[in-house]
Amino acid sequence: MTALAVATTAQEQRDLEQFYFYEARLLDGRRYLQWLTLLCEDIAYLMPSRVNVQVNNRERGQEGMISVERELEGGETMGCPHREENYLLLTLRAERAYKVNSWSENPPARTRRIVGNIELMAREPGGDVAAWSVVSNFHLYYARPGSDNVIYSGQRRDTLVVQPEGFRIRRREIVLDYANIELPTLGLFF
Amino acid sequence: MGLSVSELVNAEASLISRRCWSDPGVYALEKAGIFARSWLFLGHESQIRAPGDFVQAYMCETPIIMARGEDGRVHAVVNSCTHRGLPVCRADHGNTRRFVCPYHNWSYTVAGELVAIPQESEVQHKPDKTLLGLKQVPRVESWRGLIFGSFDEQIISLEDYLGDMRFYLDAFFDRFPAGIEFMGAPHRWVLNANWKLPVENQLGDVNHGAFLHSAIIPREAQDVIEALGHSVVTTPGHGATFRLMPEDAPVDDVAWGMEAVGSILGGDEVQEYLREVQARAPQRVGRLRARMKGLTYGIYPNLSFLWSNTSFKVSHPRGPGKVEYWSWAAVPADAPDAIKKILRTNYSSFFGPAGILEQEDSEVWSQQFLGSSIDFADDRPYYYGLGLGEEQPHPDMPGLVSVTANEFYARHFFQRWRSELLAAEGAV
Repeated sequence: MTALAVATTAQEQRDLEQFYFYEARLLDGRRYLQWLTLLCEDIAYLMPSRVNVQVNNRERGQEGMISVERELEGGETMGCPHREENYLLLTLRAERAYKVNSWSENPPARTRRIVGNIELMAREPGGDVAAWSVVSNFHLYYARPGSDNVIYSGQRRDTLVVQPEGFRIRRREIVLDYANIELPTLGLFF
Repeated sequence: MGLSVSELVNAEASLISRRCWSDPGVYALEKAGIFARSWLFLGHESQIRAPGDFVQAYMCETPIIMARGEDGRVHAVVNSCTHRGLPVCRADHGNTRRFVCPYHNWSYTVAGELVAIPQESEVQHKPDKTLLGLKQVPRVESWRGLIFGSFDEQIISLEDYLGDMRFYLDAFFDRFPAGIEFMGAPHRWVLNANWKLPVENQLGDVNHGAFLHSAIIPREAQDVIEALGHSVVTTPGHGATFRLMPEDAPVDDVAWGMEAVGSILGGDEVQEYLREVQARAPQRVGRLRARMKGLTYGIYPNLSFLWSNTSFKVSHPRGPGKVEYWSWAAVPADAPDAIKKILRTNYSSFFGPAGILEQEDSEVWSQQFLGSSIDFADDRPYYYGLGLGEEQPHPDMPGLVSVTANEFYARHFFQRWRSELLAAEGAV
């Protein structure tokens, strides 16, 4: 996460922004079934947990001492990430939203996603299909009846597949800016 | 508080005042009567394997460092410097030789002994450092790797405290030759709820599943619970629920973990592993306990074990209306790493802060606190009388046993709660 973004054409940058703005509009509009069509069916959807780590004295004076990566318990670690989901689990969550007895969403929360700082980090050689590695930041405002209103803040690390009809998400890792979770649920679509 | 404890809960604990869940005076009595006098869960030995390893923990609201000392023993100390009170440990976990207070650099061993006061060389009056260590938790004991601490020096041994719950806990633990371990740091989640409702939920309340969670849990799962479910109270406040599967049940129906989504999606390797665990179970835990397919467990006052999704949880109070809920994924210690990574999702996909089921639970726990804070409704205590008096001893299993819809697990909890608060009230 230290490299510069790769050079993009104005059109490529615009295409990326349009994709993320459209995705945010679908999610804020609670059109989760349409959102599912933006995912590859082999999607890996990950959210590491985050901890307050001990500073290593031997690394003092170096940026690595307080790197974000050290705080993450992700899928490759023997810790316990918050989410390690596939297409089926995401579908289960999406379909749940349209059941009358999904009580934590009934009445549904009002959300507003602001996505920014969109950077193309790499064009991965992907065999038949091109895959782009893209990072972006988000703030998600969340207001639910009977609960405090909260802001979710975090970063997405995506792998997008570039297809003729547009982008599809093949991998998404969500880095939340919380260790203690002072939020009603991490079960939203970020 | 206005009301005395005897008026908050009736003798049979079938009527529970809303104030039990919301009143600051009640909470103060809970601290004195329960949290100062019980065994409280600190963590698992797998979290602190080597000398110098430490994790943070809580006993009620008191911040604790649990560490393995240079002597190899487990120590628990209050995370607060004896000089000015700052926390001497800020990391959630790690390994160190010393905890150093940032303010004046008083430094302590991981066992809590004060070893250095940088300023003392400049003064004549030097304190006796042996009297100024971090406050020790006076009793620390472990059983099957589960470490507990108590502020009550006179408390009975941990084994006696757990009592016959060990029979039910071993129905799970003893299936694994190397025991279990915790994966990583706990998920820590702050909820606007009273600490007792998550506890009650995991102590025996499996009957909300088919209703609150009906968007996800099929009715058939509830039918199985109604047909085969058992609820047990060994000692008031301790309880277990499980399905006792028929002797001829197919292995895939009875095996631990097979019903959880991580295993279902996880492929042949994890499913074969779970079948092998089940195949060994009769030999390891006996034929009766091998048929147990666990649901929820509770250890008084605030530890829960969710066998079906294999998670340990602690409900740490933060006042009457807030709880810091900690949960860990637990896995067999000798399972291959690839299997452990699949098994942890049996917990995390359905429970914890992102859990598709627990988001419903946490929401109702918060709503219950609002309901418990309503003015002018004190003449409508909560009804806890379902199945009153129907629990019975069982020929083959310790404790009182009943169907899971019998709310005796909660009545026994509140009878113990009542007597402990009455004692604290009398002492005030």
